[in-house]
Amino acid sequence: MPVDPITLTIDDKEVTVPKGTLIIRAAEQLGIEIPRFCDHPYLAPAGACRQCYVQVEGQGKLQTSCTVAVAPGMVVRTQNTSDAARQAQVANLEFLLLNHPLDCPICDRGGECPLQDQALAFGPGESRFIDAKRVFPKPVPLSPLVGLDRERCVLCARCTRFCDEISGDRFLELFARSAGERVSIAAGEDFRSPFSGNTIQICPVGALTATPYRFVARPFDLTSGDSVCQHCSAGCNVRVDVRRGEVVRVLARENPDVNDAWICDKGRFAYRHADAPGRITTPLIRDRGLEPASFGEILPWLAERCRSGRVAFLTGGRLMDEDYYALSKLARTVVGTNDLDHRRAFHGGLAEVVAAAAVTDRERSVTYRDVEHAPVILLVGLDAEQEVPILHLRIRKAAARGAKVFVVHPRRTRLHDVAEHLPTRPGHEVFVLDRIREGVDGESFEARAAAALRGAGGSGVVLVGERLAEHPLAADLALAVASKTGSRFGYVTRRANDRGALGAGVHPSLLPGGRRLGVAGERAEVEAVWGSIMASEDGRDAQEILQACADRLVDVLFVIGADPLRDHPDAALTRRALANVGTLVVQSIELGDLEPFASVFLPAAPAAEKDGHVTDWEGRSQRIRPVRDALGISRPDWEIFAGLAAAMGSDLGFETLEELHEEMASLLAPRAMPERPNVWAGAGPPQWLDDLTLFTYPLLVDEGRLSDGAEELKAALEDPAFAEMHPVDAEKRGLADGVDVRLTTAAGDATVPLRVTEHVAAGSVFVPFNQPGLAANSLLSGRSTASVTVAAVDEGSGPEAVPDAALATGPAA
Amino acid sequence: MSLWFEPRLTRDWDDPSMIGLDGYVAKGGYEALSKALAMTDADIVDVVKSSGLRGRGGAGFPAGMKWGFVPRDTGKPTYVVANFDESEPGTCNNRELVERDPHRLLEGMAIAALAIGCETAYLYVRGEYLWQSMVLERAIAQAYAAGHLGPDVQGSGKRVDVVLHRGAGAYICGEETALLNSLEGFRGQPRLRPPFPAVEGLFASPTVINNVETLMNVPDILVRGAEWFRELGTEKSPGTKMVTVSGKVERPGNFEVPLGTSFRIVLEELAGGVLGGRALKAWTPGGSSTPMLTAEHLDVGLDYESLAEAGSMLGTAAIMVMDDTDCVVDCATRMVRFYAHESCGKCTPCREGSWWATRVLERLEDGQGQAPDLPIMRDLGTNLMFRAFCALADGTASVINSSLQHFPDEYEAHVRLGGCPLKVEHLEEVPA
Repeated sequence: MPVDPITLTIDDKEVTVPKGTLIIRAAEQLGIEIPRFCDHPYLAPAGACRQCYVQVEGQGKLQTSCTVAVAPGMVVRTQNTSDAARQAQVANLEFLLLNHPLDCPICDRGGECPLQDQALAFGPGESRFIDAKRVFPKPVPLSPLVGLDRERCVLCARCTRFCDEISGDRFLELFARSAGERVSIAAGEDFRSPFSGNTIQICPVGALTATPYRFVARPFDLTSGDSVCQHCSAGCNVRVDVRRGEVVRVLARENPDVNDAWICDKGRFAYRHADAPGRITTPLIRDRGLEPASFGEILPWLAERCRSGRVAFLTGGRLMDEDYYALSKLARTVVGTNDLDHRRAFHGGLAEVVAAAAVTDRERSVTYRDVEHAPVILLVGLDAEQEVPILHLRIRKAAARGAKVFVVHPRRTRLHDVAEHLPTRPGHEVFVLDRIREGVDGESFEARAAAALRGAGGSGVVLVGERLAEHPLAADLALAVASKTGSRFGYVTRRANDRGALGAGVHPSLLPGGRRLGVAGERAEVEAVWGSIMASEDGRDAQEILQACADRLVDVLFVIGADPLRDHPDAALTRRALANVGTLVVQSIELGDLEPFASVFLPAAPAAEKDGHVTDWEGRSQRIRPVRDALGISRPDWEIFAGLAAAMGSDLGFETLEELHEEMASLLAPRAMPERPNVWAGAGPPQWLDDLTLFTYPLLVDEGRLSDGAEELKAALEDPAFAEMHPVDAEKRGLADGVDVRLTTAAGDATVPLRVTEHVAAGSVFVPFNQPGLAANSLLSGRSTASVTVAAVDEGSGPEAVPDAALATGPAA
Repeated sequence: MSLWFEPRLTRDWDDPSMIGLDGYVAKGGYEALSKALAMTDADIVDVVKSSGLRGRGGAGFPAGMKWGFVPRDTGKPTYVVANFDESEPGTCNNRELVERDPHRLLEGMAIAALAIGCETAYLYVRGEYLWQSMVLERAIAQAYAAGHLGPDVQGSGKRVDVVLHRGAGAYICGEETALLNSLEGFRGQPRLRPPFPAVEGLFASPTVINNVETLMNVPDILVRGAEWFRELGTEKSPGTKMVTVSGKVERPGNFEVPLGTSFRIVLEELAGGVLGGRALKAWTPGGSSTPMLTAEHLDVGLDYESLAEAGSMLGTAAIMVMDDTDCVVDCATRMVRFYAHESCGKCTPCREGSWWATRVLERLEDGQGQAPDLPIMRDLGTNLMFRAFCALADGTASVINSSLQHFPDEYEAHVRLGGCPLKVEHLEEVPA
């Protein structure tokens, strides 16, 4: 029985719903469909389309069921039992179709269009309209991704309300009035919102269309599969549409526990990488060049090298839970190494205990629902819009419900209009966190955040981004803030299954379930399932593995679903490592930049062709199913690992995904958080340094491999490389907005245009991680921050400068 | 002619000094405000309640009751908004009231503000009313200088600020929730109710919105009392009402009459009868959005109840008179075209239906009408009435429904004769 139950009658059937329920939703519970266009369960009622008329006994006028809440004893008659309601609905559809172009045969929406469906179900059979229809120029590109056909538009205002209420990116608005009213965007502006695609999906007609899907398919040509988006750790539920084996569209699938009804534009529009020209679907082995071979030839060859040599594994963050588990077991029980890591570079900053707690402690971990209902949210070191966009929407939803949001971040985030933001120089988050933990008095940001968290009655939420884990103490301290204020604690990693990798123990010192390798009792729990773990010393982390490769201390390096040349925050070291390692095994869907270094290529299947689970930032494990068959002889990663184990004369103990999953589940079950030492002893006053700190993180749309082929997405949302600097720092150096500057770090230098902006903390310089024009890992030495000097590129002396003599004499003959 | 009653709102219209503060004060201006300052909030509301003053903007909702709905314990400010968006076709009495007597409006607003504990009252002026805005700006400045408005009203320690806001020229902004949106800087489109403005109005705070004429009645009610106010008008519609008479009459203009005065008296005594002594064909009692009536309804009293009984509404009491040379279809076309143009676009029936009705009516008037057009017009009337988000489309429907109800033959003649019977040569074929 719902809270505050209200019982009413709809079409002579009784239904009981919570107080405040709209008639249209109550009817849905009875399976009664009332036609509608403007109504959307995640948007505030509008009452604009007037399609959902019903008769309410005792009311003289018909009522729109999308705006009227139920009342006790209410008697409602829908089109099923009321002639008046039916007549009004037919009449309204006649109105809606007056100016509609009826170009269904060439409309992308044709076949899955609410207007088409409802006109068929509830509308008049013929039009009585004989005059000229209203015309608009069309399609109008709102951005490189979204086209607007105003003639098809029924002005339901779903798109404008989405922009106002959900994303807060208020680009779309209704302009003009009467029959000339139209959806539009300010002159000269692009619909530059990373959530723009949602307006296409909720458009109840074909007015908003996706440029990449325009004229590509008819709904009846598609086969669809339910999946989970692989771009970030949000875990968004999606539907993948495939036409003749090719992915042509991705749509959001509603799941109120995860993504509501939304996905970001990257998730929606970056789907071509699995079909990119670089995809390789057969194993390769380097002979004279890289030659095709069979798994049967390569695995024994590889097994021999693994038996005799020193082996290390680096993975990306987007394999399945099952893949990670199989790898963790392969490394520990067959190959005999703890040199494996899924992270790019953390120097133990996120204490293992914190990681273990994040993986195991369900009681205090955070879910989307917790975020939505939290009265206070503290974000540290996380740019949610760019890193986990759907979490960003949930935080906005919480803010709209009245939550206080505090952000500690070196750069302003898109929560700026709903949050209090403390711009904090990278590395100085610890001082802020320490003051919040102490609960300092006064009116400062820290005092207010501390008071708010304490006052949240245990429902406060602390969310920490993965960059914070780089600082030796920051993540630990954030956990202390959460403990002290009774708040929930979420560690938000960025990549789709970082959390699964951590859980499975693709980590130099953690075993499945966050169990510590170095703690005998915890190791024994794993050995009870696995048998003996061959090496008991903590292994090398990613940076150390690459260093060891560079120092010729590793014979076989597996790079699995990763591109360290782009992603590892030390480009120079990575290059030396790849050049010096004896055998480089690349297991992926493509070779990319690794081609010159690879000894062996093992073709893995991408997510669209795999069965398994992914674990989102909450720790929620979700099943995904293949939407098409694996291409060529590419295989799921776990099968390759099992094959290698067999070739090494061993056995991972499972032959099917089900067997694997069953074994894995026993080790990944929730457990109590282990006791942890309190390492924090107080930070003391911040130490301001004279030089500048460069910091970087990936923006949502960048040169990442998974966005390969998403040209429209990049045209809409990708910026070329830039550097951001605070006006105070710029003035000190005599640098103006827009000039080209040279950034010099210990690792290298680069020239990019400068943006002078107050939206970055003084003393810091931001460069995006991987935009066109600069791979920022060329400036890094294993961490995402570096000491940097910034100087104007002197036109007279820079390397690009043309010698005066050349100008005087013209080009050499 | 001499009047049969003592005029109230118009009693000093002959005195040009009333436009200034001195003239207004010389005639007893701002004494009602002094009196209100000596009263409790509840007493002010009670006097207005017992006077029976009803909203003059069209709906006729009792003003005192509206004030009484405002919750005072929400922790939010309260607001008074004067609706001077006078946009109904044929209506211009607010304009003349303000031009001749601006301080009476300010005094009424200040009293309303005291009654609901409001410190900032907004005056929303129709965009086209530039001169009237200037008159009001000057009056506001004078009232501030003399201490009738501002941080310390007449030395009472109470604050009442008046903020004048000019609209941008949309009919819909006379609808109170659209007006609030416009005032807040948003598109002038109506809001869902509930919440009603009394609970969640301007800036999501409790708000009273009154028509200019309503507020201008308030000072006299405070000074002379509720009983005095009820001496004119009817039991349920007490007081006087400004009527605007336009169209085919000898003397168009604004007239004040006790509510309940018959249309015949207004037409014949005040407006000098139908122009040129021709026959009355049709008239709107309350602006073009109220159903038109005919010569049969000459003796209907101009008050809320009598007009409702006759099938129409008092509305803004803007009487437009059509004589026997006027084509009803032509008049309906102009009116419906206006509502189509002024539809805010928010909801389907109003936006699309009034646009379609205009297409059909223009076609009929141009002689391109076809037999199915008449059932279409009838359906349009049905499908626009009470179907739209706000009452704008009800006005559109009223034009269509009342013209079809009273003059069906004229519509049919447009189809049968291939044009307007009053314009084409076969005038003699018009059915009697």
